[in-house]
Amino acid sequence: MIKHESIETNAGLLIILTLIVISIGGLVEIVPLFFINETVEEVEGVRPYSALELRGRDIYQREGCYLCHSQMIRPFRDEWLRYGHYSLAAESKYDHPFQWGSKRTGPDLARVGGKYSNEWHVAHLVNPRDVVPQSIMPNYPWLLETELDFSDVQDRMRALKKTGVPYSETQRELQRNIDEFGAEVAARLDILHAEENLMQQALANNYDGQRARITEMDALVAYLQVLGTMVDFSKYDEGYFTEFR
Amino acid sequence: MPEWLLWFTRFENSKVAALLLFFFTFCGILIYVYTGKKRSRRLESYKYIPLQDDDSHLDAGSGEAESNERREK
Amino acid sequence: MAQAAIASTEQYNYDIVRKFTIMALVWGLLGMSAGVYIASELAWPFLNFDIPEITFGRLRPVHTTLVIFGFGGSALFATSYYVVQRTCQVRLYSDWLATFTFWGWQTAVALGALSYMFGITQGREYAEFEWPIDLLITVTWVAYFWVYVQTLRRRSQPHIYVANWFYIAFILATAILHIFNNLAVPVGLFSLKSYSLFSGVQDAMTQWWYGHNAVGFFLTAAFLGMMYYFVPKQAGRPVYSYRLSIVHFWALSFLYMWVGGHHLHWTALPDWTSTLAATFSIMLLLPSWGGMINGIMTLSGAWEKLRTDPVMLFLITALSFYGMSTFEGPLMSLKSVNALSHYTDWTVGHVHSGALGWVAMISMGSFYHLIPRLYDTRMYSTRLIYVHFWLATVGILLYITAMWVAGIFQGLMLRSFDDYGNLAYTFVETVAFLHEPYVVRALGGAFFVGGVVVMAYNVLMTVRRSRIEAAELEAKLAAKMARA
Repeated sequence: MIKHESIETNAGLLIILTLIVISIGGLVEIVPLFFINETVEEVEGVRPYSALELRGRDIYQREGCYLCHSQMIRPFRDEWLRYGHYSLAAESKYDHPFQWGSKRTGPDLARVGGKYSNEWHVAHLVNPRDVVPQSIMPNYPWLLETELDFSDVQDRMRALKKTGVPYSETQRELQRNIDEFGAEVAARLDILHAEENLMQQALANNYDGQRARITEMDALVAYLQVLGTMVDFSKYDEGYFTEFR
Repeated sequence: MPEWLLWFTRFENSKVAALLLFFFTFCGILIYVYTGKKRSRRLESYKYIPLQDDDSHLDAGSGEAESNERREK
Repeated sequence: MAQAAIASTEQYNYDIVRKFTIMALVWGLLGMSAGVYIASELAWPFLNFDIPEITFGRLRPVHTTLVIFGFGGSALFATSYYVVQRTCQVRLYSDWLATFTFWGWQTAVALGALSYMFGITQGREYAEFEWPIDLLITVTWVAYFWVYVQTLRRRSQPHIYVANWFYIAFILATAILHIFNNLAVPVGLFSLKSYSLFSGVQDAMTQWWYGHNAVGFFLTAAFLGMMYYFVPKQAGRPVYSYRLSIVHFWALSFLYMWVGGHHLHWTALPDWTSTLAATFSIMLLLPSWGGMINGIMTLSGAWEKLRTDPVMLFLITALSFYGMSTFEGPLMSLKSVNALSHYTDWTVGHVHSGALGWVAMISMGSFYHLIPRLYDTRMYSTRLIYVHFWLATVGILLYITAMWVAGIFQGLMLRSFDDYGNLAYTFVETVAFLHEPYVVRALGGAFFVGGVVVMAYNVLMTVRRSRIEAAELEAKLAAKMARA
């Protein structure tokens, strides 16, 4: 039997007991999340970001967008009407780091993809008050002026691959992606062709309205336009998702 | 193995088991701390530790005149 | 007197405490000013000036990092190094290692703030430091732990005073939290970009386990350590109940680690996790209030000190705000309340009633006790301490009232429907509503910063006077020696 008196007088013992006491809560709450299958539901359509979208996501993070915009719709009627179907865990399973956010100084962006045109996004990012007079969002004109640096996009994808995102480098990994996501998506997840894919996506969609250049605006708008569009909710009964809550 | 011991082997019971364990440890601490006259006196004696090296002559709030007085002593 | 002064500087390492104290004030001033600036950006968006480095999104982590790690962290280093020496009655272990913790910490905070302005961030709230800075923090923290434990081991008191327990819990918990929340894969050895190891729901839970325990152990447990030393010292009487402090310590350490999930109510986090977190959040009220009562009751029978001693005012007001925000916290962790409060400024107000009311007030009270002792003199002006106190209190009240109004009304507006069942307000209508509360909030912040400016002036003059006094003393001694 350890006497409390010996804890009070023995620094080592105090440290060990404190360690045990403070570790329990985290262990019990976090560790099961990695092992319980119900944590992340199985849905079709969720895929890793393409090279361009990934760079857009990096810019989203760089500018600190997550400090004012959440990406997590809660299962309430007003949020349903305002933003759409509540967010699923599966929808952020390739998000390193997660960008759920904690504060809505601006609206939720979890399903902003496809809601507005590319032109609207560009105008809004350059000067939000041009399209939403009462907005308090800062202007981001430099996104339209700065060429997108994608020289290290392959390294970025490789780093993400190490964390478990299924980007492919070998023929076998490519085949696995073709089986899982289909040939078209799998081609975009190929690290070896990342730069070509990025340029191709930017030029084909011309997100920023400037045909000749690939700017940071291209990447950010590409990312915003894919948010929340991966899952086709008409394929599932409402009851299906509640099993995982 | 008796039936009730098997309860501990199930993964989903680990939370309850941990909680009970810590609850009883906590009760143990409570009982330890608040029982026994001698022990209480010993524990309470530690609260004087910060006051053992007295340097109150520098107190800002105890009035400047007062601390000046003490300073001169 | 002179001999006593010399002896006490030899006996204890006060130099390191002085350094951290001054830096705490410097970071506090910078960080809180940044806070007022970003608050103003929300009220008047033109203040972003189209300059990337000072837009809200980049400056907000600068604000949080400077106040939490710069101001709060330096205050904790300073007071923990002071308390451990005074309560163990032994000099701090290893001068050079302690100095290393000083430079390591200051460098990390400065680099962190600069890197956010240039867009280098991990994108995790309160853990935005990119991986090289994380490594620097880890090394510094290990050194801190070592200095602290080695000092404890060399103590001349058999018993380890309870304030040190809280500091130890803070050092250990911060180490665990920092390491696990910052597990990341760098893009390259020479790249400042990394991607977190976890994703989605697991990443969210890890981050808020970190996020809330940064509050629990960095901003609460450690400052309770501060409270357990400086409140009794300033009151000149022992803490109300030592036994209560033991129970307080174990209960708080155990319960805090469970509650992070309440930041993720109604999200894609499984319900069992957030329910568990909410349950523990409610239970946490008990040790929190136990601690608060223990602190406030220390003054029982000596309440008149509140009338004569502005430092005591700081300490007791801090405890009152602590009690208030530890009541508000469990309330907000209830799922039904959280449905309204989450994502709104109510949360921001809650954080600031804790951060300004509790953390900043208890630190400033402790500094007013500490600084005269570090410089072996009296505070330059007691009246200015009163001025600071009132500026700070008015500032906090303006701030939290504005945020209550902003948060609760925005929450209500967002969930209201018209007679046809359609949404009554668009999102931007609620943003327009927020303008006035945001102006008041910025004003409240400005009041608080005003108080810090007054304090900085008071401290500066105190240090200057101490130098003059020391010079006079030396001259006197020299004259005596010459006569002899």
